[in-house]
Amino acid sequence: MSTSLVSIRGLSKTFGEGETRVEAVRGLDLELEQGEIVLVMGPSGSGKTTLLSMLGGLLRSTGGEVWIDGTDIATLSERELPPFRARTFGFIFQDFNLIAALSARENVEVALNLGGIRGDAARGRATELLSSLGLEERLSFPIEKLSGGEKQRVAIARAIANRPALILADEPTANLDSHHGAETMRLLRHLAKSDGTTVVIVSHDDRLREVADRVLWLEDGALRSLQALVRDPVCGMLIDPARARASLVQDGERLVFCSRGCRDELLRDNNTLKGYTPRITTTEKEDVR
Amino acid sequence: MSVRLARRQLLAHRGRTLAGLAGIAVALLLVLALKAILAGMEGRLTGYIDRSGADVVVAQEGVRTMHMTQSVLPEQAAAQIASLTGVAEVVPIVYAPTMLERGEQRSLVYLIGEDPAAQTLPLVSGRPARAGEIVVDEALAGLVGARPGTTVTSLGRRFRVVGQIAGTSSIASSIAIADRRDLSTLLRSEDAVNYVLVRARDGVAAAELARRIEQAAPGVTASTRAQFSRAERRLVGDMSTDIVRSMILVGFVIGVAVAGLVAYSATLSQLRDYAVLRALGLRARGALGLVLAQVGALVVLGFALSIALLVALAWALPALSPALALAVRAGDVVLAFAVAAAVTAAAAAFPVLRVARVDPASVFRR
Repeated sequence: MSTSLVSIRGLSKTFGEGETRVEAVRGLDLELEQGEIVLVMGPSGSGKTTLLSMLGGLLRSTGGEVWIDGTDIATLSERELPPFRARTFGFIFQDFNLIAALSARENVEVALNLGGIRGDAARGRATELLSSLGLEERLSFPIEKLSGGEKQRVAIARAIANRPALILADEPTANLDSHHGAETMRLLRHLAKSDGTTVVIVSHDDRLREVADRVLWLEDGALRSLQALVRDPVCGMLIDPARARASLVQDGERLVFCSRGCRDELLRDNNTLKGYTPRITTTEKEDVR
Repeated sequence: MSVRLARRQLLAHRGRTLAGLAGIAVALLLVLALKAILAGMEGRLTGYIDRSGADVVVAQEGVRTMHMTQSVLPEQAAAQIASLTGVAEVVPIVYAPTMLERGEQRSLVYLIGEDPAAQTLPLVSGRPARAGEIVVDEALAGLVGARPGTTVTSLGRRFRVVGQIAGTSSIASSIAIADRRDLSTLLRSEDAVNYVLVRARDGVAAAELARRIEQAAPGVTASTRAQFSRAERRLVGDMSTDIVRSMILVGFVIGVAVAGLVAYSATLSQLRDYAVLRALGLRARGALGLVLAQVGALVVLGFALSIALLVALAWALPALSPALALAVRAGDVVLAFAVAAAVTAAAAAFPVLRVARVDPASVFRR
């Protein structure tokens, strides 16, 4: 067993059978240290959410092991998993996923109740957490009355309520403006560095690289070396050059794109690139065929 | 927290919750109101015997009710019973279910012939009937316009209304009282009576007196007033059992349909919440408890509302229709609560099955 907080070995997940069989995650190995912030990036459908679900004990793996703080979560029964999740994980979602029928404080209290803290103790901790996040004037507010940034702070308070070892954040800045996005990033960084909480962020948002200790690239269910990736000059997405959908070449310089749409957009809008020669990539040929 | 959460989830969609409450209340009210109307009707049907002051009712052997039966006793049976030890008073009566008519208005009456001095039921106005006269219930009087001084027709004979009694009219029938000998003549049974009402001397138990009467007067059945009333009520109950069962079924089906629809639509709109709660650590059992708490609260509140509506109905109905009396019995309330519990269980079935299938990993789906 590893000394890391999280140790993933040969993790795989397959959906469907026969012709509909999809390998969402393939034999993934990963170690996460306490207090580390890891950003997992990758194109849509690359297996990021599946990985996050398995890491959070929400989805059973097809193979491999997920050790969290000395416990292999694959060995936990359906009865043991919910309390383990309540104690061990904090979840932050793109859509906040707050319960609309409850107030800001009650949303945090629910998580505390599920973690075994009840009554005045739960109420006090929820108040303290929300106040520390600048929401002392919003404790009794219904969720729909809060701004996007306030909702995300409530969600963060709920995620850290039970002092989890691991926070799993799915696109935490996607529904926030730049100001609130930066605020959320600062909060996540603070959590990891002051409380020693390990944070795993799954996102397309490149700004989150600023707070991450490590950036992982997940594609086709497997982790790839980030150094080998290049950026699409139009949409900014990181792409494996070998799997680029389109490219432009001039004088030995090669630009790669996530799609022909990005390439054509660049050609249309930028006269200085008129000399470049569009090349059909292998993937593009497959598409045409 | 689960109770608070269930309450908040119900209050989050007030319109839907109120519609559900109203539907469940009306469904349960169907059961409660029907039972109360039948109970009121039973009370009115046995009103004559219950309020007659008789301790024992004597009928032809084997006869234990007035309704749906025929009892004939020789007139001298009354005198024979009067001579027995422990008897304070006897009132021989003649009994004939018939129609009472005034112009185009007709109504079923149980016409009872009494001696004018007997006056078993207190008059609310007028005086006891003598030959050619009749006393009618005030509700019936209002219904057919048979006020004192007017004439009505019954058994092909005209009677002048001379007095009124109260509390014997139901939606099905009413009591009218005529002179016994006059009625016997009309029925061509001058030497017979149908029942003998017996009052016991002080200190003599009704059951003991009934036993003595049966021993001393062969060919009769003597029932205490309580036994006789109970048998009458059972007869009415037996006749209405199928109606009651049908209405309970209708109430149950409507209740399940309304509560089930409200609960299921509420559950569908809260599936995301359930997935989030499951992800945060709520056990499947806890999620099912939340659904049951919501449906249960809806049905309990609907039940309380149905009781409130029933009380209002019991107050308002007699004012609108004097023949309609609602009697709310504890047993019927318990029955309605049992129906409500069954509605809860049935209405919660689909939402529970749906919530049981909620995948906590769906919280990451957008």
